[in-house]
Amino acid sequence: MKPQDFRGGVRAGLRSAIGLPTLVLVGSLTGYGALAHDTGFGAGLAVLSTILIWGLPGQIVMAEMYAASADVLAIAIAVGMANMRFFPMAVSLMPTLHGEGVAGRLAQAQLMSATSWAYAMRSTAPETPSARLGYHTGFACLCMTVAAVATMVGYLGAAGLPKPLALALLFINACFLLLLLLDTKGRGAAFAVITGVVAGIPINTYLPDTGLIVTGIVGGTVGFLVDGMGQRERS
Amino acid sequence: MTAFAPAAAALVLAASVAATFLWRALGVFLARRLDPKGAVFRWFSFASFAVLAGLLSRLLILPTGDLATIGIEVRLGAAAIGVAAFYLSRRNLLVGVASGTLSFALAAGAMN
Repeated sequence: MKPQDFRGGVRAGLRSAIGLPTLVLVGSLTGYGALAHDTGFGAGLAVLSTILIWGLPGQIVMAEMYAASADVLAIAIAVGMANMRFFPMAVSLMPTLHGEGVAGRLAQAQLMSATSWAYAMRSTAPETPSARLGYHTGFACLCMTVAAVATMVGYLGAAGLPKPLALALLFINACFLLLLLLDTKGRGAAFAVITGVVAGIPINTYLPDTGLIVTGIVGGTVGFLVDGMGQRERS
Repeated sequence: MTAFAPAAAALVLAASVAATFLWRALGVFLARRLDPKGAVFRWFSFASFAVLAGLLSRLLILPTGDLATIGIEVRLGAAAIGVAAFYLSRRNLLVGVASGTLSFALAAGAMN
């Protein structure tokens, strides 16, 4: 029996978040906390970045480019490109959640992450708009809290753990991104990823400042063209 | 490793937060008026993937921070172990990341 009201939705959201979603967050955000420490962010800014950016890949872009002393504008564009997916995700999620005011909708959009979006879009999620609002709120608030704590733990771990362990925390970021990209579906995404990894090596070597932006445009366009060809073949 | 004042880090964070929030807000205001599967969104999604792929190259092959003190063969080897564990565990992200990271810790520990 699926919950019908807001409070039932919140409870269902909290239950869904406990387990795999929070475990993955603990592992990945611990790595990010270590990276934030390695790249020279303060502990407070590291935790704030998790809550306010709330999209791990974009956060890693920010920390990595900050460490490379990139220009603020170049960092903002690259982070924005890494997080462009929030636009289509919000477009598809928002109409399914109950809510009248703009402030409430913006709050839900800020709480939204790739994980909360995926869980709210699953067939097992509640169906009525109020229960869905509760589900997304409960799920995302718990995730954000766990993620903020994990960031702090990773930050302190990088500062205090023996060198090999601190380095391993840093390595989590690369490992997490690698598996995330392996898990993408479709030929267009595969080509975008392969082009990005291969072309990314020379591009980022010669353009440490704007390399990620150029890589995104090149790889994204290759993926788009390959996907377009696939769509014509199917139709 | 960086000599930036905290103010610069705060500015970088503020700019990154704004760049991210822009997309979320656009989604709120343009919901119901756009097709999430349209051509522009497909390009967005591929470009996002490509940015992350470029980021992976930077982290794994061209690291700048402390990771650069560990050889590329260890980084790629540990990543390969993570990928193998990921597929052996039927695409379990947690098992894959844990295996890759643990292998990396062991190799880094053995070298120090």
